[in-house]
Amino acid sequence: MADFMKKQSVGAYFNIIAAVLGVVGIVAAAICSNMTVTYALGNLGTVIALGCSGIVLAVLAVVLPNKFGNHDILGTISVLGAIALFTTAFGKILSERILLIAGLFSYDSVNTVGWQVFSVTVVAFAGFIVGALVLIIGAFTRSVKENA
Amino acid sequence: MEEYRKNQEEKTLKKTGLFRGMAAVTTFLLSVSVIAGNTLESFASTIDTALGTQSEMMVTDDKDAVYDKFAPPANLLNEDGTGNSHALIQAAIDLNRQQAAEGSVLLKNNGVLPLASGSNVSLFGIRSQVPILGSSFGVKACGGFINLDEALQNNVTDFANHITTSLSQNWATGQVERGYTTDGWSGDEFEFDGAGFKVNPTMTSIYTKLNETYLHTENAGPSEEYDPGEPSVKEIESVNSSYKDSFAKYGDAAIVVIGRPSAESEDYLPGGIVSGLGAEEPLALTTNEKDMIALAKECSDKVIVLVNSASAVEIGDLKGDADIDAILWIGAPGSYGMLGVADILSGKVSPSGGLADIFPTYNLSAPAMQNMGNFSYKNAADVITRENSSNYIIEAEGIYVGYRYYETRYYDAVLGQGNAASKAGTYASKGNWNYDDEVAYGFGYGLSYTTFDMEFDGEPVIEVSKEGDVTTATATFNVKVTNTGKVAGKKSVQIYGQAPYEQGGIEKSAIVLLNYGKTKTLQPGESETVSVKADLQYIATYDSSFDNGDGTKGTYILDPGTYYFAFGNGAHDALNNIMALQNVDTASLVGEANPAYAFQTEITEDVISRTAFAYSKTGDKISNQLDYADWNYFQDGEVTYLSRADWDKTYPKTYSDMTLTDQGLIDYLNGKYYTLKTDDDTSDIKWGVNSDLMFYEMAGASFDDEKWNELLDKMTLEEAQYIATFGGPSIPGASSIGTVETYMTENAGNGIAVNLNASKDTEAPWNIKSDDPNGNWHPEVFGSSPLTAAAFNPELSYALGEFIGIESLFTGIPILWGPGLNTHRHAYNGRNGEYYSEDPILSGYTAMEFAIGALNYGLIAAPKHYAFNDQETNRAGVAPFMTEQRAREVELRAYQIAFEATKYDTDSYDAGMRGLMVSFSKIGPVECTVSTGLMTEILKKEWGFTGYAVTDIYDDFDLYTSVLTSGATCYDTRGMSGFYTDTTLDSPRFANQADGAAISATVFAGDANAQQAVKESAHNVLYAIASSNLMNRYNATTHVVKLNTWWRTAYRTAIGVCAALTAIFAVLYILSKRKEKEA
Repeated sequence: MADFMKKQSVGAYFNIIAAVLGVVGIVAAAICSNMTVTYALGNLGTVIALGCSGIVLAVLAVVLPNKFGNHDILGTISVLGAIALFTTAFGKILSERILLIAGLFSYDSVNTVGWQVFSVTVVAFAGFIVGALVLIIGAFTRSVKENA
Repeated sequence: MEEYRKNQEEKTLKKTGLFRGMAAVTTFLLSVSVIAGNTLESFASTIDTALGTQSEMMVTDDKDAVYDKFAPPANLLNEDGTGNSHALIQAAIDLNRQQAAEGSVLLKNNGVLPLASGSNVSLFGIRSQVPILGSSFGVKACGGFINLDEALQNNVTDFANHITTSLSQNWATGQVERGYTTDGWSGDEFEFDGAGFKVNPTMTSIYTKLNETYLHTENAGPSEEYDPGEPSVKEIESVNSSYKDSFAKYGDAAIVVIGRPSAESEDYLPGGIVSGLGAEEPLALTTNEKDMIALAKECSDKVIVLVNSASAVEIGDLKGDADIDAILWIGAPGSYGMLGVADILSGKVSPSGGLADIFPTYNLSAPAMQNMGNFSYKNAADVITRENSSNYIIEAEGIYVGYRYYETRYYDAVLGQGNAASKAGTYASKGNWNYDDEVAYGFGYGLSYTTFDMEFDGEPVIEVSKEGDVTTATATFNVKVTNTGKVAGKKSVQIYGQAPYEQGGIEKSAIVLLNYGKTKTLQPGESETVSVKADLQYIATYDSSFDNGDGTKGTYILDPGTYYFAFGNGAHDALNNIMALQNVDTASLVGEANPAYAFQTEITEDVISRTAFAYSKTGDKISNQLDYADWNYFQDGEVTYLSRADWDKTYPKTYSDMTLTDQGLIDYLNGKYYTLKTDDDTSDIKWGVNSDLMFYEMAGASFDDEKWNELLDKMTLEEAQYIATFGGPSIPGASSIGTVETYMTENAGNGIAVNLNASKDTEAPWNIKSDDPNGNWHPEVFGSSPLTAAAFNPELSYALGEFIGIESLFTGIPILWGPGLNTHRHAYNGRNGEYYSEDPILSGYTAMEFAIGALNYGLIAAPKHYAFNDQETNRAGVAPFMTEQRAREVELRAYQIAFEATKYDTDSYDAGMRGLMVSFSKIGPVECTVSTGLMTEILKKEWGFTGYAVTDIYDDFDLYTSVLTSGATCYDTRGMSGFYTDTTLDSPRFANQADGAAISATVFAGDANAQQAVKESAHNVLYAIASSNLMNRYNATTHVVKLNTWWRTAYRTAIGVCAALTAIFAVLYILSKRKEKEA
């Protein structure tokens, strides 16, 4: 494991961070969905599936370059796929929360529970979107050290 | 060579990384574009409204037989039949002016008003420059407006530079900013005859400067911790230290404006005022406001206070201040209403309004104030599982809301009964409860510049008729009004009544308004006899304990005995007149009394039976439908309602820690109402039956027309379910009957919230063209609802309804969410500006006239919020507990009057409102949306309501089956659109059902009751639309055309560009990778 880690370059670390953020996104989505019955996410299963798939791809984006070298095609497909999946997970949550958000910022600003749900939802948003952005940054960089 | 190769490899690797990274960026952007597109399409109708775009258009290929059912009046059209925007705006200015002139209430006048022509006046108070014209949220006053100083001294509008504002938060910076309600004005300006005064420019410029930091706006709102934001004298000095030099020149009169706003979603709260302002309550005057009045006294010996508020401001001190010469309540007068205010100040119009709410000395003295605000069940966390079900209010004041409390207690205090003079509930009284101390100005009270003699013109005519079980009993009062003064003026004739009360018996108010009328403008010496017909059901009492003999309880009782009727300058005056007729010692009365202004009659069983009103006008036998509204129904003895039997012992306490113990009560709060059936025989309910009948052929058909059955049977269950499920701005289409998805509803009651040049009816021949210079005129311009009510003028309400109906033709909106018809339970309800009055009779008749007027032009007025929306605090699901008597006599009576509309009923036409919006709130522990008692038994069976009954926005999505089987006709799914696409029955919006049921097109397959309810819902929705101006657009060739919009183009372009770039970078990446390998 130590040898494996020594071989990793900055891109791999970004991908690992993205995977962790994906976990954060999934956990936050699950929490905000279970805070109250009213604000349960009708598509939580889809969100979890998208998030998990994204995490798997992000992990593959760490593993595959060790076998095929930097910027390998399979690793690249994994990164792009993970970005698409994380962004889609964000979109799925957004579509479920848009009425809540619209209400909070207009006619229902005193909805205390709604604000609590919203704040956890923001963590889920951040997990997936920042995860996708971190993957993008990682895509520009090398995943493994050439001479390691 | 090796180094060169390595450099080349490094360069290639860098390129590969760059292309890979760029592909990642564009993949992200592509994903975001797709998400944005999906989200925009899901809420296309809301996006269209916000951006002024149009995603689809209703098109009728065959132009025959369209636009022939409703049309604007000829004087608002050009010769070619197109709309005349100038004439329309001029008509709006004139009507708003009349609304303010007739609705403003002169409360005090030591003879200074009207001011002489050419007076030089100074304005004080920052609200003199930034008056409250509308609400920050809810009913705004929009567009160019006429300010007070303009109305007083100018003769032409300056809309280009005076556009109303409201506050909004800049989400990027977090700063609260002032924003205009309209994007500039380059259209016409309008001439008017102003008051002819000269206004002190020094004070005007000082307040203008100060408002650069105060950020006041013409559309404002209350808050839980309110600050009226009145600048101090010191601040005025800091702008111009020699401002007092201007007083000498502009000291003919000093006009002080005191403002308190009203708006949706926030209340004032007891004690809710920023500390250090010198006031303990938000509706009391602050030190700075009192200092402004003191400054006004320095400026002039003629001090006039304008109360610019929809709620009762605590002005008791001003009433008794000899140096305050006049007080004029002006409500929130709307965009052009200051012209009407100026008309009164200058004497062009003699004031004729009467207060729509009582003005107590201290608002906290209203018994309702003991229980308003934020209350949660003590054990909510342990037993409540449903969202928005943990808050309640105990409306322990019973039927004694507004003047009904103060006047009844006054009556009992004078008569020495029921411990009315005890100290309970005293706020202003120095010892025992004293009306004169507790009340500043009574309900219905208002002064004039002229004097009137009023007398009964003959004895009132009581007419009783019976048809089947239904008794109709009316009393018609002919009152001769003679202008005995020196100027022309109008006079309202308010008829009040008193039913016989037995100490300890059913609660009865000592005085209730029964109906009203108003004279035309009477010239000095001129007379007019005003005929006012009172429905005697409104003086009957709802006795929820009455045994109907059929296993049910509760009905209206008209106790045999002596009934008194009177007219007067408000409820207090009328009550005094009755008391004088009852030989009460007039020395013990507060105010004057004249027995000649009252009338008494014996109503015995043989004249009108005690249970004459046990059947509603539809023939429905009345019985308790809202037992569960009463807390004691579940947990007996825990709540004591205010009673005349003993004012002292029953004066409400604050019920702040109610604990839920009854399982039935808890179950209701947790949403357990209806059990879906799965094995009913539904074969008798027909769907999909072949027929040639189409919806357009139903235009104007009565609700009972047999053709409806044929049309409804032709629909599929799924189509009917869609119509019953998705309402709000648009109605889903049903292809089998030839309806198309249509945008049809808008908000507000003071105008239609759609710009003139953004009509939803793009094919109407009278459409205002997009390049019309007045095209961005926004029709929400009229004053607040209490201003209309205070006019006590049915014709004015009717005219307002008609005008907004005309607006609806120009904007293509057949249904209006308004007017507001809830009760002013107390002055602290933040939304009082949107509701008419504390009195249901005044509210009901005002709304009825408005609705009938609007329907003349095919606009369905849908009042809100049915019912019990008594406060904004916790409005999403708060549970108001009350007696059924209170519910029926106070809260529901206004709706009853508006829906029954008996004044306009004929043998062949059932008049009345065709729509309503249901409240967010509960009634007792039961959501209003699912209360069958409220939605079906009372609304439809007792009152005969037929039409569009929509929930409030996104309300109670988790109670799908319960809502659709209660009598509600559809959900307000505002913002959703796309029948069978984005708007689907298995939408995630309905995913979380309280009963666990999964919503689908087959969910009602085994439930006959639900299927029948869905069919009835479709019937009601379609009937309402068939009565509306939407039928102008329907014939056999009507269909929908999808349109492109700039935002649709934008996201589609973004998707295309991102997809292309992703492909390009992917290819470049692959090529680079190959090169890398080759290297």
